[in-house]
Amino acid sequence: MNAFTIPVGPLHVALEEPMYFKVEVEGETVVSVDITAGHVHRGIEYLATKRSLYQNITLTERICSLCSNSHPETFCMAVERIAGVRLPERAEYLRVVAGEIKRIASHLFNVAIMAHLIGFDSLFMHVMETREVMQDVKESLFGNRMDLGANVIGGVRYDLDAERGAYLAAQMDRMDRDLAEIAHLYATNHSILQRTRGVGVLSHADALACAVVGPVARASGVAYDVRVKAPYAAYDRLDVPVHIERDGDVWSRAVTRLTEARAAVDLIRQCLRAMPEGPVAVAGRPAVPDGEAIAKCEAPRGELIYYLRTDGGKTPERLKWRVPSYMNWDALGIMMTGAKVADVPLIVNSIDPCISCTER
Amino acid sequence: MTRFPDDIEAALAAAAPAGIALKRDTDAKGVTVAWCTLADRRDLLPAATVLKARGARLSTITAFQPKPPDVEEGAEPPPPPPAGVVIDGQAYELAYHFDLDGDTLTLVVLLPHDAAEVDSLTPLFRNADWAEREFMEIYAIRVAGHPDPRRLFIDESVEPAVLERLIPFSTLVNAASTSTLWEKIMTKKEEAKKGGAS
Repeated sequence: MNAFTIPVGPLHVALEEPMYFKVEVEGETVVSVDITAGHVHRGIEYLATKRSLYQNITLTERICSLCSNSHPETFCMAVERIAGVRLPERAEYLRVVAGEIKRIASHLFNVAIMAHLIGFDSLFMHVMETREVMQDVKESLFGNRMDLGANVIGGVRYDLDAERGAYLAAQMDRMDRDLAEIAHLYATNHSILQRTRGVGVLSHADALACAVVGPVARASGVAYDVRVKAPYAAYDRLDVPVHIERDGDVWSRAVTRLTEARAAVDLIRQCLRAMPEGPVAVAGRPAVPDGEAIAKCEAPRGELIYYLRTDGGKTPERLKWRVPSYMNWDALGIMMTGAKVADVPLIVNSIDPCISCTER
Repeated sequence: MTRFPDDIEAALAAAAPAGIALKRDTDAKGVTVAWCTLADRRDLLPAATVLKARGARLSTITAFQPKPPDVEEGAEPPPPPPAGVVIDGQAYELAYHFDLDGDTLTLVVLLPHDAAEVDSLTPLFRNADWAEREFMEIYAIRVAGHPDPRRLFIDESVEPAVLERLIPFSTLVNAASTSTLWEKIMTKKEEAKKGGAS
């Protein structure tokens, strides 16, 4: 049988963002995949060296929408490390609350799109409706549905009074109930299991070789979570379960995300219980001397790492970050090889692709 | 309390005969960040091999051109950098960030601008592929032994080393138009004043 090449992208109905795949197929089976990237390369790393440390909080929040809180959070952690700033305890808990709210919304968006790609549009709408609760939470607490603007150097710039805390707790009760129902559907529904089990497999060995992180790694049995391995904010005082699956297929990645969304609800509740009173940020603007720092956090898609070099001036001498999606594109080639052409959109979605993050 | 392996300094020193300088810092939560500068860039591959054997994961690679140190007039010149490469604003620093089960160890090598070549880590760490291709296209650094040195994000039609060459758009427009426009407005205003007075 003759092989031929199908171009997918850069603009394609099944892709949210532009990426160009050259998929070589024999009959219905994918033989190899070549990726051409760079369609939304914007040179933000260069721009960051022209902005002050404070302006960069705003700039990094705009690298990506779904993990928009993780970027400024990790950037602030790098600055705090160089400046020798220790966060007030309440600020550490509030950072966890903001991060976990974003994680629930991000994971639900991904599993909703999966239902849509299967053709199960009533489930898609149901999951998006549940996600809408989180969008309302974000809008009510932060004033925005995507960019929270929660972080400052030395703390956060929002607080939860008794009324807001009670509102958040009530929404978490509602999410707990809705997520249990959704998780049960994904675990048992015949259409979902048939289309996603055994599809787009990334073995444990390949996951380690590709150095993937986050839910993609954990669905292949790699028990790595920055919140546990390199605790930051208040995670060293919280009970953070690390959920792993063994099969490394599309279904395992969806189940991992749903389990993590439920764990995030519990983490927010733990914070509401344990959060002490006190200031939410250090007073004043700390002096930032020359130095270099590494900061890491567990973004919704996995380990996000920032490298910052300062020279004592207003702007960073160098700011570099690597997003969790960066290694997923290589892993995607392994997942797609041997798969059916019809499953390509499902497999691409299963890495929770973020191209604006990857290319910066 | 730290999990950071204490014998790693000796292992890296044995792999890098030209010498290393290692510093480390453990934060209040027990997470260690360590920096290891290699005196000779040819020791990079053996040092990375030591880390690979200990199960390290390559997180990412940062490339940049550090600013030359400020030297006040009459002051003592700064000590020569450990790698014997003069930081003249043109030389490159490559920082390879490795994850050691939560802790971070960064291997640092310096490259002079006129001999900027470094060994590829892609044969050891599969994910070095994209990171190396990315710094190859934004700086004039060559990577020896890269299995697939194509462009990553930037189109083939764009000349290489964009971060060393391109003039920022803001600099461009400031020089070309803003002051001209402002002078034109001020001149017209002055002329209008004179015209009104006479």
